[in-house]
Amino acid sequence: MTATTAPVLAARDVSMVFGGLTALAEVSLELHEGQILGLIGPNGAGKTTFFNCLTGLYTPTKGSVTLRGDRLPSDPARVTVAGVARTFQNIRLFPSMTALENVLVGRHARMTQGPIASLFHGPAYRRGEADARRRSLELLEFVGLRGLDDELARNLPYGDQRRLEIARALATDPAVLLLDEPTAGMNPQETEAARQLIFAIRDTGVAVVVIEHDTKFIFSLCDHVSVLVQGRLLVQGTPEVVRGDPRVIEAYLGKPPEEVEAEVRQYAEEAAHSTGTAGTADPADSAEDLDTEGGSR
Amino acid sequence: MATLLQQLASGLVLGALIALIALGYTMVYGIIQLINFAHGEVFMVSIFAAAATYKWFIPESWENTWQIALPCMLVGAVLVAVVLAVLMERFAYRPLRNAPRLAPLITALGVSQMLKEIVRLNYPDAKSAINVPRAFIDEPIIITVPGGTVVLQATSVLLIAVSIVGAVILQLYVSRSRMGRAMRATAQDPDTAKLMGVNPNRTIVFTFALGGLLAAVAGVLYGIHLNTVDTEVGFLYGIFAFTAAVLGGVGSIKGAVIGGFIIGVVKTLGGQLLPGGTGYDVVWVFILLILVLVFRPQGLFGEPERVRA
Amino acid sequence: MTIPPGWPILGLGLLYIAIAVAVVLALRLLWQRSAKALADKPGMLRPIAIAGGVLAVLAALLPWVTFRFNDGPYPDLATLQFFDEPWGVTGFRLFVLLLGVVAIAAPFLPVPARRVERAIGLGLIALGLVNTIFPLISGGGFGAITAADGAFAFGGVATLVAGWVVATSAKAGPLEPLPHWNPKVPRLLAYAVLVVSYVVLLLVVAWMLDAGTDPDGNTNTYAGPIFLSLLSFLGAALGALHAFGFLGWLTALSERHRVFSIGVLVVCALALPFTDAGTDYWMTIAVNVGVYAATAIGLNIVVGLAGLLDLGYIAFLGIGAYIAANFSGAAASALHVELPFVLVAVIAAIVAGIFGAIVGSPTLRVRGDYLAIVTLAFGEIFRKAAQFNIGGMTGGANAIPNIPPINWFGRDFSAPLTIGSVRLPSGVLYYVLIMVLVALVMVIFANLKNSRIGRAWIAVREDEDAARAMGIKTGQVKILAFLIGAMLAGLAGAVFAHKTSTVAYNSFQFIESVTLLAAVILGGMGSIPGAVLGAALLLVLPEKLRDLQDWRLFFFGLALVVIMRFRPQGLMPDRHRRAELADEGADGVPIEELNVPDAPDGSTAQAVAR
Ligand SMILES: Nc1ncnc2c1ncn2[C@@H]1O[C@H](COP(=O)(O)OP(=O)(O)OP(=O)(O)O)[C@@H](O)[C@H]1O
Ligand SMILES: [Mg+2]
Repeated sequence: MTATTAPVLAARDVSMVFGGLTALAEVSLELHEGQILGLIGPNGAGKTTFFNCLTGLYTPTKGSVTLRGDRLPSDPARVTVAGVARTFQNIRLFPSMTALENVLVGRHARMTQGPIASLFHGPAYRRGEADARRRSLELLEFVGLRGLDDELARNLPYGDQRRLEIARALATDPAVLLLDEPTAGMNPQETEAARQLIFAIRDTGVAVVVIEHDTKFIFSLCDHVSVLVQGRLLVQGTPEVVRGDPRVIEAYLGKPPEEVEAEVRQYAEEAAHSTGTAGTADPADSAEDLDTEGGSR
Repeated sequence: MATLLQQLASGLVLGALIALIALGYTMVYGIIQLINFAHGEVFMVSIFAAAATYKWFIPESWENTWQIALPCMLVGAVLVAVVLAVLMERFAYRPLRNAPRLAPLITALGVSQMLKEIVRLNYPDAKSAINVPRAFIDEPIIITVPGGTVVLQATSVLLIAVSIVGAVILQLYVSRSRMGRAMRATAQDPDTAKLMGVNPNRTIVFTFALGGLLAAVAGVLYGIHLNTVDTEVGFLYGIFAFTAAVLGGVGSIKGAVIGGFIIGVVKTLGGQLLPGGTGYDVVWVFILLILVLVFRPQGLFGEPERVRA
Repeated sequence: MTIPPGWPILGLGLLYIAIAVAVVLALRLLWQRSAKALADKPGMLRPIAIAGGVLAVLAALLPWVTFRFNDGPYPDLATLQFFDEPWGVTGFRLFVLLLGVVAIAAPFLPVPARRVERAIGLGLIALGLVNTIFPLISGGGFGAITAADGAFAFGGVATLVAGWVVATSAKAGPLEPLPHWNPKVPRLLAYAVLVVSYVVLLLVVAWMLDAGTDPDGNTNTYAGPIFLSLLSFLGAALGALHAFGFLGWLTALSERHRVFSIGVLVVCALALPFTDAGTDYWMTIAVNVGVYAATAIGLNIVVGLAGLLDLGYIAFLGIGAYIAANFSGAAASALHVELPFVLVAVIAAIVAGIFGAIVGSPTLRVRGDYLAIVTLAFGEIFRKAAQFNIGGMTGGANAIPNIPPINWFGRDFSAPLTIGSVRLPSGVLYYVLIMVLVALVMVIFANLKNSRIGRAWIAVREDEDAARAMGIKTGQVKILAFLIGAMLAGLAGAVFAHKTSTVAYNSFQFIESVTLLAAVILGGMGSIPGAVLGAALLLVLPEKLRDLQDWRLFFFGLALVVIMRFRPQGLMPDRHRRAELADEGADGVPIEELNVPDAPDGSTAQAVAR
């Protein structure tokens, strides 16, 4: 098991307080080489805030984050250089740059040409530029955007924008990739493609953390799942453990009705006692869901 | 001591003027994030409007009764300024609401140039400074302080009083009234405000009109206090006022007023006490602005910008 | 009690305004109605376009004024000139005639006719306006078109109506997509096309500069309308070429063969002194255009690429100019040393660059429009410092006069030059120098823009947080933009000092910063040819409109407002922005709103908002 090796990324007692609001309370988490870690939790639980703390966008009120034992600075640019890349919940591409240019910006930290070289476009400069282009095109192909390199980011369909954001993050040669709701707004086919893509990314040796609301997606993807509720880590463990934990179910019931319904469908069997809405779920459906999840393990 | 107090008083008067203009900047910026460079010109035009009202629109028999002349001038200036502000919004800025961010700014600079030139070329003798009547109590107030006396013009007192009272009323209005709520909602998130039934266009026009009104009040007071005006004051006071708004934190009414007073005082006292003399008074204002922004990027009373991710 | 004199005038004024508003509203209503009625009737294009075109042709032959103006654009115009003298239709009437003919022909040709008609209609309206308003203003009021005896000159009005009709015909159906011509053509063909196009461009520029100049070299009284008519005509012609897909193709070709294009462009620019525009007067203006263009390109790095608004940019030009003045050996300078110009230019660039970095350093903390105010503050501080002769370096109110001209190898740059038998105007060497400098600055800009640094600038402009998350040290990158931009301005300032020979603080007022910014934005942010075009327009237009004298600044403001209203992306937008605004009308709608698939659960809606 991976758990025996030293973690790639470790968060220790990370807390974040905004004014009077505690968005994160002493969250500790470990991510191991080759792992896909799922982070779930109701809206406003602090998942995105946690990512912001990991990547240096926020300076945690307390606690520390280490990458391979080295403490990460609280400066997003340096965190990226150190090897942690991310995508954003509400896509943050560079809208009037082309897809290729977006990925090339991702290469920025791994290129060395300074202003003088950029001015004269000498042979070394050109070699570096050609390398970056080649690598970027490879990445575009890897995420499935082949042939779209000249398209402006803002003109891409939604799903492609999410994929482009992943390619851009991968261009920074990360050791750890943080994905904030990578399938939000995708249809089932796209979601499945995204799942395969994340497996493929893991297979290239990048450890991945995924935030998602779609628990079915998370349970079928991740080796390890952490549940964040009101800024606290409620449960962590393998998907099987988390799925069966009554506290998780309870926490999820604190959410708005539409989502309760969606979750309850997932847990129809265990949750039969909790509310009347469970009755609306189709048991056959849920059983099937759970089957496929088990199968992919 | 007395001279210092005298300087302080004139700094406060200048500050009161700047504050009144800054309110218009801050409200407009707060709601549509536009530096309305033409706002200073609205102020300038309103001074001319006040002078014109006095000269051509009130009968001679009223001219020496300030109790009648001053309100008439105010009405004339306010009418012109409000109409101007509303037209500007409707025809220059509104069509650009979805344009690239800098387009409305360039339009604002263009509008301001046009207004200045229209007045300069069409108002009789406006190519140099023109006179504005006093139209207020003539006797100065003389206060005895240790080491001498401080002479306050009646208009100075009026100016300071009006700007403070005006800002308080405005603050109450924005925080209590229906329209004020609509303004704050639109400023925070125009789309959501719209969903909640706020008419953003009407709110924005209203904001411009309110700014125009305040600029006109400032204009009339400027006129009767200094008794002279030229077409350059719009730019100069516009810059000071925007600086005041930024200094105080754009969007904050309290900030605009305090920023205005700070600038007035720093300019006056800086010109007197610091090396370089009055020639450099503007420089001290700008240096202060830069320092404040570097150490407090959101201004004195502004909300810090939230990183969104 | 007597009525004060203002009231009757006000009443009359309001009446006029009411009438004008009513007319405008009626026209607008008519326009909207006809546009709506025509929207699904593409068949109506031909009859309407032909009607408009015929009317335009007739208008070209009609009288435009009721009496004979002095020599100039309106001789013999009370007559039907065409019938006495079939080939005598000249000047603006020729333009109206040509546009009319094209308007008739376009619907029968395999071109995007509605786009072409739109361009022609607008051109006709502009021609009509210029040549109706001008006689009204300088020809003695309405008498110029309606004489006392009842004679009426229909030319202008007919052209306006014709333009309106032609423009209306473009509303018969949606605008066609722009034809796309493949830029991947054989190299030789591409080179030939580029050379021919740039030579034509050179001739057109010379023609425009020369418009309204009499054979004896004096400026014609009617230079203003002549120039504006030419501009309207060229605008319509360019619009038609664009509709045709040609301009897009040409741009793509020049982008593919960038080095070659810049080379040809430089050669063409250097050929300008040999044309009719090669006079002392135009050389001086051309040097100023060059100085402003180089500075505007520097500003374009800051504003166009990095997205940082600078409202005090003229200060860097000023710093460069003062440095050059102080090292020029001018009597009034503080240093009394004379260094070679090249060295001086380098020093000027470096010092300006250092100041650029200083002015840019608040960007580390200050964002957006707040930064604009900080730059404005720096600009004003610079001006005050110059005005009060800080450190004895600026000459204060006395300025630094009598700066000697540049002198290389014993050749005085301000003297005329004779090559063989051709005598070139004085100032031509400055012109050559500044053109080389502009070309250099263009190459610098182009190389930087397409590099790692340039991409970082654009990323910062587009989304600063995302840029940081990509490992870009945004603070350094932004300061670098200021530093390089200011260096370019400083270089330009060094030339400026020598050419004008006097450096005075009031050359560096806020309005100059506005002009620079306007040049960048008018041309199109981030676009190199745009910045040059913008600078050229803003400096040449006022020269051409000298008869408007006092109203120049007013028209400057009006032009800014109008161009921003109808072309906020600028006249020659950058490739990206062009694509962004390609489908007219759809701009402004965030793409997310268009492409979101049905949200499967609440979280998507949330993700999409904003
Ligand atoms: N910069 C900030 N300032 C103040 N409060 C903040 C800030 N950022 C986040 N919060 C608050 O912290 C809490 C956690 O927000 P966060 O965005 O991390 O939730 P989340 O788990 O990502 O939710 P979702 O599933 O909706 O994305 C929320 O209450 C939010 O309003
Ligand atoms: Mg989130």
